[in-house]
Amino acid sequence: MTDPLLDVDDVHQSYGEETVLEGISFEMERQDVKVLVGPSGSGKSTMLRCINRLTDIDDGDISLDGDSIYDLDVNDLRRQVGMVFQDFNLFAHLTALENVTLGLKRVLDYGEREAVEKAAWQLEAVGLREQADSYPAELSGGQKQRVGIARALAMDPKLMLFDEPTSALDPELIGEVLEVMRELADEGMTMLVVTHEMGFAKQAATDVLFLDDGKLVEQGPPEQLFENPEHDRTAAFLSRLTKLHGGQ
Amino acid sequence: MSRNTQRLVRDGVLAAFWLWFSARLLNDWFGGVFVPQGQPFFDPEPVAAAATAVREAATGLGVVGTPVGWVASALDSASFAMTYLPDLAAGAWLTVVLTTLGILFGLVLAVPLAAARVYGRVTHWVALAFIELIRGTPLLAQLFVLYFALPLAGWIGAVPFVGSGVVPPQAVWVAVLGFTINSAAYQAEYIRGSIEGVDTGQLTAARAVGLSQLDGIRYVVLPQALRIAIPSWTNELVYLVKYSSLASFITVTELFYAVEEAAYSNYRFLDLFLLAAVVYVLLVVSATTTMEWVRRRVAIPGVGGSAGGRGPA
Repeated sequence: MTDPLLDVDDVHQSYGEETVLEGISFEMERQDVKVLVGPSGSGKSTMLRCINRLTDIDDGDISLDGDSIYDLDVNDLRRQVGMVFQDFNLFAHLTALENVTLGLKRVLDYGEREAVEKAAWQLEAVGLREQADSYPAELSGGQKQRVGIARALAMDPKLMLFDEPTSALDPELIGEVLEVMRELADEGMTMLVVTHEMGFAKQAATDVLFLDDGKLVEQGPPEQLFENPEHDRTAAFLSRLTKLHGGQ
Repeated sequence: MSRNTQRLVRDGVLAAFWLWFSARLLNDWFGGVFVPQGQPFFDPEPVAAAATAVREAATGLGVVGTPVGWVASALDSASFAMTYLPDLAAGAWLTVVLTTLGILFGLVLAVPLAAARVYGRVTHWVALAFIELIRGTPLLAQLFVLYFALPLAGWIGAVPFVGSGVVPPQAVWVAVLGFTINSAAYQAEYIRGSIEGVDTGQLTAARAVGLSQLDGIRYVVLPQALRIAIPSWTNELVYLVKYSSLASFITVTELFYAVEEAAYSNYRFLDLFLLAAVVYVLLVVSATTTMEWVRRRVAIPGVGGSAGGRGPA
């Protein structure tokens, strides 16, 4: 039996006095697309940040491809785990193309030419060939987020983490980002997504995980969670969310 | 006057000043290319004679002669400036050298100091101690310690070529060291402020891609912070142009020293200090104009406020 790609095992995390995660466990196989949902403050973003060690855990363990992430070099771990942020965090002083080439050159030691070639291809894949030489301030929110996705994908990650990738976007720009994400899921990328977009969850997710108050309340395929949730809390939260963000 | 006219006037004045200044230095370094070393390019005698003549004419005109008297005064000032500017040129050159080297070497020190101040643990305290020590003591005292209390001047003096030809003597190098150390402390604080002005998400994103903290600072934070710092950092440059006059106390024959020396020979202190003020202003405006040009040159839309020019698409 091969190891799961990601094994989150009884993870506890707290900021000072405040406990954020209380014993979270789940696994992800290759090509899984899991959607994390839950009220704000439930620990979804913290969970993602624990996986690429932007936040350290207090207890439990997380393994990537069978190795504890604490046995890996932190920069090597992060190279293998792409992350997309809610507020994009594009490097403001670099063009779209340079945003993508920076990691290729400084982390993967690509030469200038190879880096530009790969970055151009990656930008084309998210539909931004024309915007390669634009600075972030010259891009729309949806374009920025697609550059953010291209920047993470260029590193050939094993796993992609999405931290509310559409929450900072105007409604009319959400679709273009979700489309890129759906294509990525179809191509077999393993993805862990924090989002309120229930349409995306229903269409693309292999599983939906419902987090509340630092605990994993329930997980299962979307149809099960949406149609037949075990817990009332899950049902209440998902129906409220579906009313608000059911589209796409 | 419109903005464009103002710029045109400023650029014209600066161009004339630097044309004169470089011709002057070339002439004096290479043994009198145009005129004998230290001699004015144009003889001030006829201007002085004209001033006397106009003055006499004005006296004869009574009340109506007052504006004519102003012309005479202007001619008199011009002939005075023509006579003494050559003496100030060599001093102004050293002022430029002290300021330029001090600010540049200071910048090289200031960047790691600022980064240590923001991101360091042990280095944070080392940087803080250095910055507070330097900012908390007078620059003049620092120069005195470096020049009189330490054997630095002797060591530098022993280096070949120091003090011969266009290579300045040891006191200048001690002053450069002093300004470097002093300016580094102030520059570090300007840069620290702008590092803190860069969104923390920038470094987080760099780390998330797999860059080390040092690479993240180097390739992501600093390029933005340094751009943001330019306008306030220019202040430090302007200060240094004038603070460089303190080097005269450790025998550096910069602009202020040259002015004093000339004044003790003819006792026209006020006239000479006014002349020096004009030269200082021209140097400062040259510095701010250069930095404004640099700021525009390196501006990126969205980094450092409205610096970019181009707005969102």
